[in-house]
Amino acid sequence: MSGTATVIAVGYAGLAALSLVLAVAVWRSTRSRRAVDAARLAKRENASLAAVVAILVALLLGTIFLVPYGESAPAGSQRVSVTGFQFAWLIEPQVVKANVPVEFELTSSDVSHAFAVYDEDGVLLTQVQVVPGRTQKLVYTFEEPGTYDVLCLEFCGFAHDVMRGTIEVRA
Amino acid sequence: MNAPPADWGRDRARVWALRYLLASTAIFVASGALGMLLRSSQADLGRLDPNAYFAVMTAHGLGAFVGWAAFACMGISWWVLASVGFPLRRFGAAMAQAAFWLMLLGVAGILVTTLLMDFAASWVFLYPLPFHSAGEWGDAATGIFAASVLLAGLSIVTWCAGIVHTVLGPGLHAVRPTIGNRLGLALGLGYLAPRRFATNPTPVPYAVIPLAVIGIDMIVATLPFAVLLVIMIVQSASPGVSVDPLLAKNILWFFGHPVVYLLLFPAVAVYYLLIPRYAKRPLVAGNVVALAWVVAVFVNVMIWAHHIYLDYPSDSSQAVINTLMQPLTYAITIPSALSIYSLVFTVWRSDFQWTAASTSLFLGLVGWLLAGLSGVVNATIAFDEVVHNTLWIVGHFHHMALLNIGLAIFGATYAFLPELTGKALWSERLGLWHVWLTFVAGTAAFALWLVQGLEGAPRRFAVLPERYDTLTQAAVPLFAVVALAQLLFVWNLVQTLRGKGGRAAVAEPGAVVEGATG
Repeated sequence: MSGTATVIAVGYAGLAALSLVLAVAVWRSTRSRRAVDAARLAKRENASLAAVVAILVALLLGTIFLVPYGESAPAGSQRVSVTGFQFAWLIEPQVVKANVPVEFELTSSDVSHAFAVYDEDGVLLTQVQVVPGRTQKLVYTFEEPGTYDVLCLEFCGFAHDVMRGTIEVRA
Repeated sequence: MNAPPADWGRDRARVWALRYLLASTAIFVASGALGMLLRSSQADLGRLDPNAYFAVMTAHGLGAFVGWAAFACMGISWWVLASVGFPLRRFGAAMAQAAFWLMLLGVAGILVTTLLMDFAASWVFLYPLPFHSAGEWGDAATGIFAASVLLAGLSIVTWCAGIVHTVLGPGLHAVRPTIGNRLGLALGLGYLAPRRFATNPTPVPYAVIPLAVIGIDMIVATLPFAVLLVIMIVQSASPGVSVDPLLAKNILWFFGHPVVYLLLFPAVAVYYLLIPRYAKRPLVAGNVVALAWVVAVFVNVMIWAHHIYLDYPSDSSQAVINTLMQPLTYAITIPSALSIYSLVFTVWRSDFQWTAASTSLFLGLVGWLLAGLSGVVNATIAFDEVVHNTLWIVGHFHHMALLNIGLAIFGATYAFLPELTGKALWSERLGLWHVWLTFVAGTAAFALWLVQGLEGAPRRFAVLPERYDTLTQAAVPLFAVVALAQLLFVWNLVQTLRGKGGRAAVAEPGAVVEGATG
């Protein structure tokens, strides 16, 4: 699991557990059947709105600068041309150096594909969509030498799941 | 033309709601069986041929999402509106009838083209894949498939016309019944500007608002998609015609996002109507809920690109569009957050009547919260880069579809069936088993998908890489329990319809307070 995936897993599991605890608390509350001040609860809805908006704004500010858009390859980066077609990847060159940014230039000659790179442990490192008729760029730096698997993550036909490629990363 | 009496409109709503519910339940059973085929094939318990796998996936996806959940929600909406003083009038009844038959024809065409003509481009059939079948199906299958989806789309537009007509009815009690005023009232503006949008004697029921919102939005969202489908039909006969794939992808999701709310917003209307009924107190809601729905009517059709966050070709403005979509998508969570707040506090410390129906609705609220939280992950571009097109997404939307929308549908079915048929529910106990098994086994099964997704497991793979096998196989018994639970549901329905539960006890026209136990 990647670092970001671990953050998602921990965050979601915590919130899901909290939700279930709240659900049990609400269920149990119906046994006490005590009177509630509905007007006051309705007014507090404004406070709940403010809390939700504050959380969302914080999440927005914390993540919006991490979008993958507009990354440009620095000078000295390696260039790799990738063409997707039913059901293979044409990757040229297939061998790159570790710790030097790679700028992938991706195209498709038929339908939509998605270029996804996995390391030898099966961790999904990066992915991007490849739409026919367009050129998609992706900048990624491999840190470790090894053989990396390329899968297609956009459904592209009956042999979609066997559409594979590899990238060799050397020190 | 004279308006028909309210009794006539109530009766028409009853008839059509029941027909939609029964037809959609039959489609649910068929689609669910197809889903079990997919799961068992993926777990190597009887592998399907690769194209057959994806044909079944196409049928399962569209069958379950449109043929069951959307269709059921569409039908339930007629009865929800009738229950809050908005019976069908002649135009609405005609639309209800037309939408019913269009949907049935559309679903039949989808089943024929996928299961008999091998069309297997997935249930989102990303253009131009339907025309690049790698020899597995012909352009004729693509043309008939596109025409079938178009029929389902026309069903939705027709339903929208009926819904908009119905929510503008005399039940609004508008002091100034101009068309603009009535539209504003149906959208809940009476809660925000009570002088401008005055009503007498009663305010607009909350359940009307989400239906008015989706009735308007789905007309806007469906029309461009209908044009794309027409072009695909033409292309199937004249290959020279084509569409820019990136534009087609945007059009697909311009429809594909709001159509999720074609399910969710009627489900919200069900919650707004029934949770207060079981809690025996009015909905705990402030004016701010109405504000959220005003946001929803606009934002719902402005967030499609969160489905294509990872499309940003250098020769397009897609990156800018996508970036804008993250805050807008966050905004659409506000109606959900406020609605959950209102509904939860309506239950809080109430004298809540725990029945199969109300338990299903309560568990549906829990499912809504859990699925909404995983949705915030997808809505965040930096997180979507990790989970896009993985089984995380499959876990998220199944959670939303079965454990929020589905449980709302089951709850509405248990609550409304006695009102629609005059027959009491056969077995409360069986209903409780059904909803609890669905919730527990479903939550566990979908959690496994979420975990697999975070481990990078791709969606839409007939055969997953071996490293995911353990959880794939562990999920099969959970799905079997979910499937078994649905058989309990169907059996309960059959016995109820056969009158085995006795007659429903009716206290006032249409309001069943207690069914005779069977």
